[in-house]
This record gives sequence, structure tokens and C-alpha cells, in this order.
Amino acid sequence: MKLINLQEVTKRYVTGADCVTALDKLTLSVKEGTFLGVMGPSGSGKSTLLSVLGALTRPTSGTVTIDDIDVYGLATEKQADFRREYLGFIFQSHNLIPYLSALENVMLPLAVSKFSSAEKRRRASAMLARVGLPDRMLHLPQQLSGGEQERVAIARALVNNPPLLLADEPTGSLDTATSRQVMELLAELHRSGQTIVMVTHNRDNLEWFDRTVYLRDGLVEKDTGKSDCSLSQAM
Amino acid sequence: MRLEHIVFHNLRRRKGRAIFLVIGLMIGVATVVTLLSLTDALSMHAQHELENFGANIIVTPRSEQLNLNYGGVQLGGVNLVPHEIEQVSLVNIDSIPNRRNVATIGPKVLGTVEMQGQRVMMMGVDPVAEFKLKRWWSIAGRPVEQGAELLVGDALVKRFGLAIGDTLQINGQDFTVVGLLAKTGSQDDQLLISPLSTAQSVLGKEGKISMVEIAALCHDCPVNDMVNQLQQVLPETDVQAVQQVVKTRMHALDQFRLFAWGVAVTVVIIGALLVFVTMMGAISERTREIGIFRAIGYRRRHVLHLVLMEAAIVSVLAGVMGYLAGVLATLAALPLLDGGKAVWHLNPALAVAAVAAALVVGLVAALQPALRASRLEPSEALRAL
Repeated sequence: MKLINLQEVTKRYVTGADCVTALDKLTLSVKEGTFLGVMGPSGSGKSTLLSVLGALTRPTSGTVTIDDIDVYGLATEKQADFRREYLGFIFQSHNLIPYLSALENVMLPLAVSKFSSAEKRRRASAMLARVGLPDRMLHLPQQLSGGEQERVAIARALVNNPPLLLADEPTGSLDTATSRQVMELLAELHRSGQTIVMVTHNRDNLEWFDRTVYLRDGLVEKDTGKSDCSLSQAM
Repeated sequence: MRLEHIVFHNLRRRKGRAIFLVIGLMIGVATVVTLLSLTDALSMHAQHELENFGANIIVTPRSEQLNLNYGGVQLGGVNLVPHEIEQVSLVNIDSIPNRRNVATIGPKVLGTVEMQGQRVMMMGVDPVAEFKLKRWWSIAGRPVEQGAELLVGDALVKRFGLAIGDTLQINGQDFTVVGLLAKTGSQDDQLLISPLSTAQSVLGKEGKISMVEIAALCHDCPVNDMVNQLQQVLPETDVQAVQQVVKTRMHALDQFRLFAWGVAVTVVIIGALLVFVTMMGAISERTREIGIFRAIGYRRRHVLHLVLMEAAIVSVLAGVMGYLAGVLATLAALPLLDGGKAVWHLNPALAVAAVAAALVVGLVAALQPALRASRLEPSEALRAL
């Protein structure tokens, strides 16, 4: 079943007299349960693709549907609800809230939910245990290593059980050993059925993806998974 | 975990800014509370003093003719008083609705007596009331109290060469001079003043009153209303308000209050600007954080809630602390002002108003920064994506 469907998505940024096309009529479908890697040089449109998929940046044209929901057909506040219920974000630099403990950071998406405090705590604790940090719950981010912070970020992204996990260079600031641990964790999540779209520069991560899309100048240069899904480039 | 949890943690983490904001607003609230408390205490004291300082309502027997006297200068015409006021009728004053606002009632009986071959004017007064009404009187010796005692006006003292302890025979009765009234520049200089009952007896006007001076003033009792009330219970008299006195008193109090409110409004505006600038700075500082909140699914109103709740907590804290600081400052300042006679009174309305005003100022000033935060596009706030 297709979870993601982008139809001729174009995104242009206008800065003064300059107009930069970050995505150029991109059409892409991703099946549920896929671990998709998005690679390409700087400025190729990787982060814009992730931002468009994350209901964060409205495309200039085209449609984005996730789980059959027209994401940009939703009102602004409904888009926020959509992000909370359907998406989990893992940011490049963890982006944990520095004055909240690991447990509280994981509970952040639940703070605006209707769960009881005990249920919020139970879910966040379980998720931290799942990413291997059962004994670091009360630590502040600065008391955690880079890899541990990444794990907290992953736990926060998953605490709402979102159908789609979006990761932007999650290993970008980690050493090789820690990067591997994080990728193993993501692979484990993938094996359990989680759909993941991950942007990366690191070619070492290719082995973990079951499909990789290469972007250049907002266009798909190469797609390793054409047999699994439809991909076309409308010129 | 709830949104409040995030707010408290953020305030705790950014203690410096929170303390700066609380202190800034607190100083504003304390200044306003101090000014208003001082104004209140001094106004009450001033009002109390003014109420007892001279009469502002004059009750005279009803006359069919116009008075042709100005500043003590007779301009001819007949100025006969047809009859006196019955003293018993004065108890009716107790029945007027604004009785509690009547500070002093000074009944007087007037008449002429013969002293050492000359005719002089005698005034009988209720000593306690009269000396309250005439605070400006300066007396050598002591005021009259009862019996055949006299307080002598300055002009008579000079004309007859009188001294304290002298005995004077008036209408065949011996009087002792117990006090000499220093020069007032008014008709009082021409008077022999004695206790009311004594003068009534000497003048043959038992139970009669020539005129009544009344001191009455307060915030909520317009003197004109009181004049009407008095006129109703004393139908055989003319009741007049001395408008000049009333308006001067009210003007003085109003000017005082206006000044305090002017300063208060200025301080409130400065406090609001402080909150506004600090919150704008805080929003800029927290742009990325707000981006995270929005990216993980917080609605705009959740972000609005976070910023406004922070402002509300700081404002309420500043309001409570500012009120207490203002009360302490008032207690410290009062002994230094007005001879230490003014007294601070607990005003629960001011306490509630101080906290409420701090809250409103804080929320209004934080509204624009909060709206700005809530309108931040998550993709712009999060450069990472």
C-alpha cells in the first residue's frame, strides 16, 4: 500500500531577484514499510523534499498525499494535528529542548494530547526503554552523549506511533560507531514495519536502506527502487 | 506533562530574564500602589482636616429682604432679622440621609450688649464645635468653656485695654475674661464670645439661635444635596452652601489624585514596554524551540498559550510582590509626610486591582510577541529542515 504520493511537486524559493527551484515537478510514491534513503549533494533539494513531506513547507505546485490525506489541503491548525498524529521528526542536530529531561523531551508531543499524565509518562518511558535509554530518563540533554541525544530524538519522534518517520541527517554529527548504533536502531524500527524517509550524505548508510533516491537540482537523478514503486520525472 | 510544565521549566531555566521581568514589573506595580496608597491616605487625612476646617454650609433665619452687606460694610437698606431659629429644631439635622457626612454643627446666638457704656456685639457659641470650625483662631489664655466666661476679640481688647482675668459687667452680670482672640482681620475681632447658654440668657434669647455654621464634605455627598436635605428639615431657614469653599477643597483633592493617576499611567506604560521588549527578545531567542514545537504538532494556539502563560505567571508574581512592596513603601513614607498624621488603611480593592492590572498589562504587552511566535512558520523557525 502506498503511504506517500507526491504528484508533480515543485518548490521555488524567491530571494530578492533570485528564484531557486528546489524541487522540480517531482512525482514519487513510497510504499508503507519502506526505509527510503534520500541522497544528493548540497542544494539538490533533499531537505526541501523532507520539509514538504513533513507538512512544513507548502509546495509552489503539485499535491502531497500521505495515507490518502491531501496534506496541503488541510487548514493550518489541522496540518499541526496531522504532523502530531502521522509524522515523527528526527532533526539534524537532535533539537532537544535543553531545559527538559530526556523523559520530558519524549513526552513533548504528548503534552497537547488528552492522555492522562500517568499514561504520557508510561508511553514516554516505554519508548526510551525501547531505544536503549531506560536509565537516562531524568538526564538533561547536555548530560547525554551525542548518540544518546539522537536516541532521545528518535524516541520523541516515535512516541505518538506515527505511520511515517522523517529523519534529516540523524547521523550527521555522530562518530562512526555511534552512527552505526543509531542506524541499527532505525533498521530495527524498519523491521518492525515503520516507514522511514531519511536524508543523508553518508554513503555508508546505503546498506540500511531498501530503496534510495538520488536528487540533483531538484530532480531525481537515480532511484534504486523503481521495481517497488512508481517514479517518474515530468519534464 | 502539560503545557504549564514547559512554561515553568522555561522560566526556571531562564531565571535571569524572568527575574528581570518580575523586578521591572514589580517596581512599576509598587510605584503605582505606593502613589495610590499615599494619595488615599493623604486624601483621607486632608479631607478629614478640611471637613473640620471652616464651615461650608450656613443656616440663617428666613428673611424676606435682601442682605445689603458686603465684607462687613453696610450699604444701607433694612437688614432686620424677622425671627430667630428655634434651637430644638436643630435636632432635625440628625434625620437627614447624609447625617454621617456632617462633621461639625456650630450654632450661634448673636446680639448686642452694653459694656462700659458702649454697645458691643456678643456671640454665644457651642465652644467645642466653634473651636473645631475656627481652627485658625489663635487664643491667648484659654477658650471659653461654661458659665460667665468671655473670649474677647482683638479690636475690643485694644479699645477697652482688657487682659486675661479681668472682670466685666455686662447687662448687670459679671463675666471673667479667660481668653484673648488674636487679630483675625474678620468680624470676629469685634466680638465678645461666651458659651451659648450664657449668651442666650444675657441676650434674652433662651432657646433661640441666630445662625448655624455646618462643616460637611466627603467624596460621595455633594454639598448641594445636603443643602436640600437640610432645607427640608429646617423649613423656616435659609440654607446656603459656601460654594467657593467646597470647590476649592474638591479641586485641591482632585489635583492631588490627578497627579497620582498621571504618574501611575506613565509607570504602567513603561512596565508594558518592558514586558513587550523582553518578550520580543525572548521570542527571537526561542525561535528554533518554537519551530520544534510546531514541527512536532503544536497548534498555533498552543504556542500562544505557552507565551501568554509565561507572561501571566511573571505578571501575577510581579503584581503580588509589587503590591506588598508598595504597601511597605507607603508605610515607610507616611511618617515622613504630612507630619505623620495620615494613616495607611488596608484597601483590598487596591490589592486585587494591582494584581489584576499587572496581569492585564503583562498579557496585553505579551500579546503581540505571542502572536508573532504563533505565526512563525515551522520551516522558517527550523533552519535544520
